[in-house]
Amino acid sequence: MNRAVRKVLNQALTSCRATPCIQHPVWASVSQRQYKSMPTHGIGRWRHLLPKEAPKKKKDRHQMKQIMSATETAYGTLNVKVSGFDMTVVEHYSQYIHNLCNRFGIKVAECYALPTKSTEVMLMQEQGTKMYVDSILKTHERVVQLSSLNAALCPVFMEVILKNQPEGVQLSMKEHTEADYHARFKARPELEGLMAQIGQ
Amino acid sequence: MQQKKMSASCGRMASRGLVRFVSRVSSSGLRPLSSTSVCRATLQNKHVTDKATSPWTLMAAVCLQRLPVISSDLSPIEQQFKHMLSQMELEKSMLSDHELRLLEDKERMSRKQANDYDSDDEDGRGDQDIVLTQDLEDSWEQKFKSFQPAPRVRADVDENLTSPERCLADSLLLLVEQQVGGQKMWLLPQTQWQEGETLRQTAERALSSLSGAGFKATFLGNAPCGVYKYKLPKAIRTESSVGTKVFFFKAILSDSSRPAAPTSPFLWVTKGELQRYLKPAYMAKVDRFIPQV
Repeated sequence: MNRAVRKVLNQALTSCRATPCIQHPVWASVSQRQYKSMPTHGIGRWRHLLPKEAPKKKKDRHQMKQIMSATETAYGTLNVKVSGFDMTVVEHYSQYIHNLCNRFGIKVAECYALPTKSTEVMLMQEQGTKMYVDSILKTHERVVQLSSLNAALCPVFMEVILKNQPEGVQLSMKEHTEADYHARFKARPELEGLMAQIGQ
Repeated sequence: MQQKKMSASCGRMASRGLVRFVSRVSSSGLRPLSSTSVCRATLQNKHVTDKATSPWTLMAAVCLQRLPVISSDLSPIEQQFKHMLSQMELEKSMLSDHELRLLEDKERMSRKQANDYDSDDEDGRGDQDIVLTQDLEDSWEQKFKSFQPAPRVRADVDENLTSPERCLADSLLLLVEQQVGGQKMWLLPQTQWQEGETLRQTAERALSSLSGAGFKATFLGNAPCGVYKYKLPKAIRTESSVGTKVFFFKAILSDSSRPAAPTSPFLWVTKGELQRYLKPAYMAKVDRFIPQV
């Protein structure tokens, strides 16, 4: 960018000296059209300065992130699961945990939501044996996945999140397994049927 | 520090035995917590036998906390802000299904009262005349009125210092009255470290022996959260006993079942009340690891 600026300044100086020939500066990429004669043409260009990105494949299958295993001084990949009936409280609490991890320097691998589970509460009628639907309770779950947790930092972290746990919210911390990862995907019965047929 | 200790001891004799022990422990698939505690136990043993016994008596204490059960009351600014936010939300919100149904019912009733009412013009469900939405709402109101929530603050339970259910909005700390050097004083349950056990096991022993058998606690980690050093007065000090070092371990109360028979008097106190019971020097050290939050 400095080269271009210097060239533009040179250009401006030369034009001030009233030389008749105005040389267009040699730009980095020749493919751009140079029909604008202003010396400041293309002054705002920045996209040519970014590093070249590999073109993203459309059919990229979602790969599982590497599950870190526990070492002597740190835990491996942990799942902090926050669940409850009130979605705003659950989401705010999971955001609080995420921000706390950022502040403590704990690396957060992923932060995702599990599907909502609906529970129908059926009550028996006062007169009669029929059950009727009283209410529908929805359980929301949010997961914050930590890639590694230092064992010396763990008690401090646990104490802060336990003391700030709101009412009506359940907290659970477990180690992340492959089964947890695959449980997030929907089962594809026809694919499984075809695979079984091929297997036979 | 753990790594430095490991390398120092491996540099000395009998490193092979230690390494084999460590690999056996880790290959059996134990959780990292227990393997590090076992490592540290063997290391501590080696330290004690290698050099002369330290003049400090080691003790471990447990800082048992009961977490707050309900959220604390909001300050005046927080209340005002909450009120303003709820007003804004109400004004920006849309009508819910139930409220839409209420409006529809009202409209239908007003249409029915009109003289030129033709029931064939209605395009809706037929059973809406049997159970009106307003009746549903009234029955729900009745149920809500008959529900009695438990009181948030109970003054009589708050006065009782031995009950773990006092001050539900704060976190409580367990204090025990112990005889230390001929003097009875209130402090966190502590007991002397014995050969062959980790400091955390000492703290667990302190909890189970001193404060009755009823407290089930989860320890938060192997590392102590604080230390208190006490040098004996010059008159009693000898070559082999200069003083005591107390290491504190944090634990969270799992369930608040009452102990069957408390062996020694205990108290559940909040952070503000600690000042009244603990000695000033001790309090200064304990204060550092009890958070205000």
